[in-house]
Amino acid sequence: MTVNIPSTTEPRPRSGKSAKRRFWFRTDLVVALVALVITLLVPLFVQTYWLHVLIVAYFYAILASSWSLLAGYGGQFSFGHMAFMAIGGYTSGLLGRFVNLPPLPGILLGTLAAGLAGWAIGALCLRFKASYLALFTIAFSEILRTLIRGETQITRGDHGLHVAPLFGEGVISRIPYYYTMLAVLVACLLFMYWLANSRVGMFLRAVREDEEAAAARGVNIVHYKVLAFVITSMIAGLAGGFFAHYITILTPNIMIIPQMGLVIAMAIIGGVESLISAAFGGMIIQIGLEVLREFGAWRMVIFGGLLVITLRFARNGLLAPLFQRLFGLGPRAELREEATTDGA
Amino acid sequence: MKYFLSLCTTGLIMGVIYALMALGLTLIFSILRVINFAHGEFYMLGGYAAYYILGTFTGLHPLLAVPVAGLIAALIGLAFELVFLRPIHQDRIERPDEYAVLVTFGLSFFVMNLALAVFGPYPHRPPSFFEGAVNLGIVRVSADRLTASALSLILLGLLLLVINKTWVGKALRAVSQDKDAAAVVGINQLSMNTTAFALGAGLAGVAGALLAPSFSVTPDVGAVPSTRSYVIIVLGGMGSIPGSILGGVLIGLVESLGAGYFPDPSRALNYKTVFGLVIFALVLLFRPTGLFGREES
Repeated sequence: MTVNIPSTTEPRPRSGKSAKRRFWFRTDLVVALVALVITLLVPLFVQTYWLHVLIVAYFYAILASSWSLLAGYGGQFSFGHMAFMAIGGYTSGLLGRFVNLPPLPGILLGTLAAGLAGWAIGALCLRFKASYLALFTIAFSEILRTLIRGETQITRGDHGLHVAPLFGEGVISRIPYYYTMLAVLVACLLFMYWLANSRVGMFLRAVREDEEAAAARGVNIVHYKVLAFVITSMIAGLAGGFFAHYITILTPNIMIIPQMGLVIAMAIIGGVESLISAAFGGMIIQIGLEVLREFGAWRMVIFGGLLVITLRFARNGLLAPLFQRLFGLGPRAELREEATTDGA
Repeated sequence: MKYFLSLCTTGLIMGVIYALMALGLTLIFSILRVINFAHGEFYMLGGYAAYYILGTFTGLHPLLAVPVAGLIAALIGLAFELVFLRPIHQDRIERPDEYAVLVTFGLSFFVMNLALAVFGPYPHRPPSFFEGAVNLGIVRVSADRLTASALSLILLGLLLLVINKTWVGKALRAVSQDKDAAAVVGINQLSMNTTAFALGAGLAGVAGALLAPSFSVTPDVGAVPSTRSYVIIVLGGMGSIPGSILGGVLIGLVESLGAGYFPDPSRALNYKTVFGLVIFALVLLFRPTGLFGREES
């Protein structure tokens, strides 16, 4: 639907096999272009309702893929991803409410605020084992939600904070919002893909595979873990900012733990070691939630069950292996090379 | 002074119950090296179990539902441990630490949504243990909370006795100190894992059943007590049994005093949980091993 990028979790081979790699790179590029053209043309064919579903789906795709960057590449688990998203949204919303700041600078400041909170929490927790980050972020998220809910004078609590629409009150069409969210998603994916394949990404993977060995080789592990945490928190904040200025009302319910669970289910079911699979996980599950509307509360039970089963029996997720077969994308380079011999 | 003492009393009363729940989390962590992110959901299941037991057998005294609720939570914990956690210790799971965090969180997500689908979002409240309030001289406490606290205290005492005096307790302590050495002297680590997880889940269930008449049960009722338990085990020192008991009582006192002296009483209750987060951050900053923690290998 959006760009298809080969997201290798293993370092690219440095030499040899370059012809094969170039071939696959082109295939990826073709798939990516086709997907991009399809997503660009979607507004011509679908109704407003489905346009809305897709905007929300792209929003979840940003959250799921950025969560998977931290988890699948860095081996760190944040249960506060929705809290950082909410920091982005509420910062912009509150600045708009109290100092009449327009949406775009608001989103920028919201993203920075999420990054600042991520830096403080990361610097505090990432010196320790991964479970401390998980423990602290789940506590942080719940407590921030209680505060936002309680401080009704400022945040309006459960009544909801009204946020100005991004394109002003006059624009009713969802098409500008569709392209905006799509652009944010594509930009975030490209940036994260670049990051994952840069030195930072290599170091992160090295730390995940063997923290002591990485430290012994001179990688300042805490520094890179904090950096990755700050970046993913900022991406969550950015997504939250744009989302807030789209739905125009924020309540603390967007950051309840089941919402966090939903994003994690998206990333895990999609495939946590591949950014694009996690993004697709986000989109497909969000669309699935709409399609299965008649099942009501049982939909989340289905996805919850699927999450636990995927964790136990399919650690690469359900979508990532599928993409691997179809397009030769995905985490395992050697499998891709096998595929070339089939003439796929 | 009288106000201070009354706050301390209510803090202690709640703190004992917090300690019971945190002790379950500590037992699981010290044996399995797994933080149970679904601990709040066992608390919630205990509350619903008590509600439905008393709804079905209407003649039953509400107190009798508590052990049964604990047993139900323990059985669910047992089944989960066997299916999802035992493979970790049989080396059948890649990246076991990451898996353990995610799979217990996944269980929490699944059970919370299942409860929402089955029981609905509205609060259920089982009947009181005893009606009315008890005058303790400096403060009046609801009979339900006092009962819950007294039972928690008795249960804590019994558990300490079991852990320190019986064979099972010794075996559990042996596994928590040194897995390999415990295996050498013939302790089956896998069955100790299952025992500890079932016991920990059961304790959360008992805590849930004890507090259900005071606070009602909803599908997300476990969020606050589990968050509090995470703070307590970090404060007490991960895996330390005396640490989680002392930590529970301390958090009970801090919440009670903090809310009691908060400048704006109308918002005090919201800030009750914030004190916990501040303590969490302070512990990580100044004493990462907690009060009784030992260095992690």
